[in-house]
Amino acid sequence: MYSAHIVIAEVRRGVITQESYEAVSFARDCSGGLLPAVVLLGKDVSLQAEDLAEKTGCTVHVIQGDHLGSFNAEESCAAIADLISGLLPALVCLPHSSMGWDLAPRLAVKLHASCITAVETVKGKGFTRSMCAGRFMADIVPLTESVVITLSAGAYPPYSPGGSAKGPIERVRAAGATARSRLLGVREPAHRDSALRDAEVIVSAGRGIGKKENVEIVRELASLFPRSAVGASRSVCDLGWLEYGRQIGTTGQTVAPKLYIACGISGAIQHVAGMRGAHTIVAINTDPDAAIFRVAHYCIVEDITTFIPVLMDELKRD
Amino acid sequence: MKILACVKQVHDSSDTLEINEQTGWFSPKPLTVFRMNRFDEFALEEALLIRERMPESVVHALSIGPERASTTVRRALEMGADHGVHILVKGEGYMSPFTAASAIASYARTGSYDLILTGVMSEDSMAGVTGQLTAAILDLPCVTSVIRTELHGETAEIVADSEIENGYRASYRLSLPAVLTIQSGINSPRYPSLSNVMRARSQQPKTIMPEDLGLPAPRDSCSGIRMPDTSSQGLFLEGTAREKAQMLVGILHERSLLS
Repeated sequence: MYSAHIVIAEVRRGVITQESYEAVSFARDCSGGLLPAVVLLGKDVSLQAEDLAEKTGCTVHVIQGDHLGSFNAEESCAAIADLISGLLPALVCLPHSSMGWDLAPRLAVKLHASCITAVETVKGKGFTRSMCAGRFMADIVPLTESVVITLSAGAYPPYSPGGSAKGPIERVRAAGATARSRLLGVREPAHRDSALRDAEVIVSAGRGIGKKENVEIVRELASLFPRSAVGASRSVCDLGWLEYGRQIGTTGQTVAPKLYIACGISGAIQHVAGMRGAHTIVAINTDPDAAIFRVAHYCIVEDITTFIPVLMDELKRD
Repeated sequence: MKILACVKQVHDSSDTLEINEQTGWFSPKPLTVFRMNRFDEFALEEALLIRERMPESVVHALSIGPERASTTVRRALEMGADHGVHILVKGEGYMSPFTAASAIASYARTGSYDLILTGVMSEDSMAGVTGQLTAAILDLPCVTSVIRTELHGETAEIVADSEIENGYRASYRLSLPAVLTIQSGINSPRYPSLSNVMRARSQQPKTIMPEDLGLPAPRDSCSGIRMPDTSSQGLFLEGTAREKAQMLVGILHERSLLS
């Protein structure tokens, strides 16, 4: 009987990520309130394991290995599968991070499980995920006894009730390295715009602005606010309309300004992950069904080329 | 160097799609335009660039989809692929990434490819796992979200830089054969040249039926698609553009966002 619920936690820059606690929340929800077991891999993650066990009360399985100091999907998969296949997992939940979406499919194949990524919620037997940049939702139903999912960042609140009894920690050592890929190194981004990090107001351009020339309108709007900066979605950077240092989202920068104005941005989860922490979000888009309107506090269905000049006029008059 | 580039056909804009209540899937309208998934264009371009640097390399382009997907195979040939393969699926409907990956893996086994490239995700389903699943099924190393490649033919290795969180890049060295999922922005996908368009006209893509590939049973199904719940939507400002602008300025004032 496959019944275990397991979360694979992630450590980034020395700490357990917020998304790992969100995955605990999700897994707990899926099992009617029972705490999942949490698996943590690394070279030396004792402190992080203590932290996890204390905050969540979950049993934490620590897989230690000198070769697990940096992430490698092949190594991680082998080590995790060795440990959890014996636990007969019904659900294995990973954060939808670069680690998660690299590891989840490999783990699923190893466990003969189905693999469903970027899940936002659970509905009956199905896992709900968005498609077409958030325009549609699909319910995907596993046909296997075991399912490996990755959970979208921010979809569930992080689980850290506090005050509960500390969970037990169990340690195993992983067998040696066998991977055919090895990490050479991790580099910091070459071009990072500190202006974005420090800005109180960010005006961001998406593909929906239509053409490169319209970046100017976005810039002009930004210039009306003190301590402001211009941001961009990935596709705008790919098109060469703005430089990659301006990119906001999973693979760009994460920002949390007081005011975020999204211009012509569809609202794919990759972008939303980088800006959902903004205090006030205004979205301007011609498409009333755009996913960005589910993140925005204030929604304006207009074309930016006609609306922004009117808005600037009102701001100047003010 | 033998390279397989996987190219999916997607609809150009989701505005032209409707949900078919009977099939539980999309039904394209007459105006729906289909084209190559943008991320796969980057993957195909990367394959073509590697071929240019490595003499005696070949690039095969593979697409899985209904009849209409043949135009995407043709597009790949026009961009410069040496050979096109179409795994012909009957009708419109959900195909899970696992089934697609199983089909790619099954085909790839017959071709002893050194490198299999896919886009990092498709613009429609956005699952982003077909490449990794293919690698896992074939038991090959894989790097996702690749933003730079450097091939070392003499040692049969490839260095691939992967984009991870916050703009950081992790660099991996892999032994070939390997699978890479290609991130957008790695190169500038070319437009078909006239000579390649002419050449493609005389090329006959190979059509394969899924039943000839011996695919495993599906591991998941789609029980339906729907429009998202609108209850989480923010407040829509109504009126003329001028009225909306005035309302917004008022709101920004209230929230002390204008100094």
